[in-house]
Amino acid sequence: MKRLLLLACLVASAGCSTVQPWEKGNLAKPEMAFGEDVLDARFMDHTYFSKEGASGGAGVGGGGCGCN
Amino acid sequence: MTDTTTRSKPAGGGALLAAALALPGVVPSVAQAQVTVPNATLVQFKYLYYKDYQPSGDRMKVSSPALYMLAPITDEWVFEIGAVSDSISGASPYYHTVLSGASGRGIEDNRTAADVTVTKYFGGRTAVSLRAAYSTEDDYKSRAFGLTVRHASSDQNTTLTFGFGQSNDDVFPTDGPQFTATKKTTDYIIGVTQVLSPNDVGQANLYYAKQKGYLTDPYKAFWGIDNRPDTRDQWAAMFRWNHFFEGADASLRSSYRYYSDDWKVKAHTVQFEWAQALHDGWTLTPSLRYTTQSAAEFYYDPVYDPLLGAPFPPGYLANPNGIYTSDQRLSAFGALTPGVKVAKAFGKGWLVDAKAEYYEQRSNWRIGGEGSPGLETFKAQMYQVGVSKKF
Repeated sequence: MKRLLLLACLVASAGCSTVQPWEKGNLAKPEMAFGEDVLDARFMDHTYFSKEGASGGAGVGGGGCGCN
Repeated sequence: MTDTTTRSKPAGGGALLAAALALPGVVPSVAQAQVTVPNATLVQFKYLYYKDYQPSGDRMKVSSPALYMLAPITDEWVFEIGAVSDSISGASPYYHTVLSGASGRGIEDNRTAADVTVTKYFGGRTAVSLRAAYSTEDDYKSRAFGLTVRHASSDQNTTLTFGFGQSNDDVFPTDGPQFTATKKTTDYIIGVTQVLSPNDVGQANLYYAKQKGYLTDPYKAFWGIDNRPDTRDQWAAMFRWNHFFEGADASLRSSYRYYSDDWKVKAHTVQFEWAQALHDGWTLTPSLRYTTQSAAEFYYDPVYDPLLGAPFPPGYLANPNGIYTSDQRLSAFGALTPGVKVAKAFGKGWLVDAKAEYYEQRSNWRIGGEGSPGLETFKAQMYQVGVSKKF
């Protein structure tokens, strides 16, 4: 876990702050966002949560289900 | 615990098994790339048809319409609501891949879930979201909330995310012994989203969840063998990277997740989506996901006690209250999901899309160790159609 934290910090401090607002046209495209299609993401999280042993990593505050 | 006579009863009130395999309640809110107030209202409807099956027979079918709406009320307040209804029918395993419903009796369950999220924006760089979710099934109830704080650097190139959530669930099986048990999940996330170049954005999240309470599958416990620990500590590290190819007018969305828990399940999951823009508002997105996981330490292979036979693990009599599971989801396997999505943007904010995916889970597709022997291949098909409108 420590190594992962370190990696996260490295990514954060990579500080590629050279990207200016007027250079973000491509980044503003919907397909460049994380989890843009909310219902698609929910369906897939549902499915994998109920068929596999691993879950989590994208957000908090989900509820449980009777699929244990 | 029940005796062998009870355990060998034929399929009875299988309705409840359906609930045991129902799709989960509510999913978490998703980490976002930047902290900017949405400037449009979005209404999205989607319908999912899901079915899974194994060589020895069909399993579950799920029909699931869902609605999502995002509405900026002012330039500081945003509301989101979601709702989903699942109709589930079919058969689920008693133990390993031995199916219920063999007697021909149908299994049915319904699930209804709704969630509300309110987000307040502060100074254009900080967003605080409060979320409440409720989900109800014939034999399961879940109440959850989540608090997520996002804070962006002044240039909006770096966003930090902190989240805390809790879910209080009730399990009340309607088949076999009647009781009500509780389960509580508390989860945390810390993440950073970083603009790496005009064509690259990355995200790293660390996630931890603590589950406490009744984590056993009540139906597998009654019809088969299932007795799980009453706590579970789960860790996940997720890395996502989106790259835009200017020449191709396409985005490659990649993600990797490492997962580990104290039941000794370790998993690696990778996913790639290639979103290719085409003429006239069409987008074609092929995708591929692969996951591999180790088995929980208390999962036992389908090799049964020589005296008692199935579903009893060897040595069961000496330790009848031991920790066991025969759940395929906690076995060791690998799984692939190829898929394709087609979307068409019309004028005035309308978007229509359709997606088809195929899922196959096999023990011999595991990488990094041996898969669990003696289980049937598990397959599923998923189809989505959706329409959304931005105002």
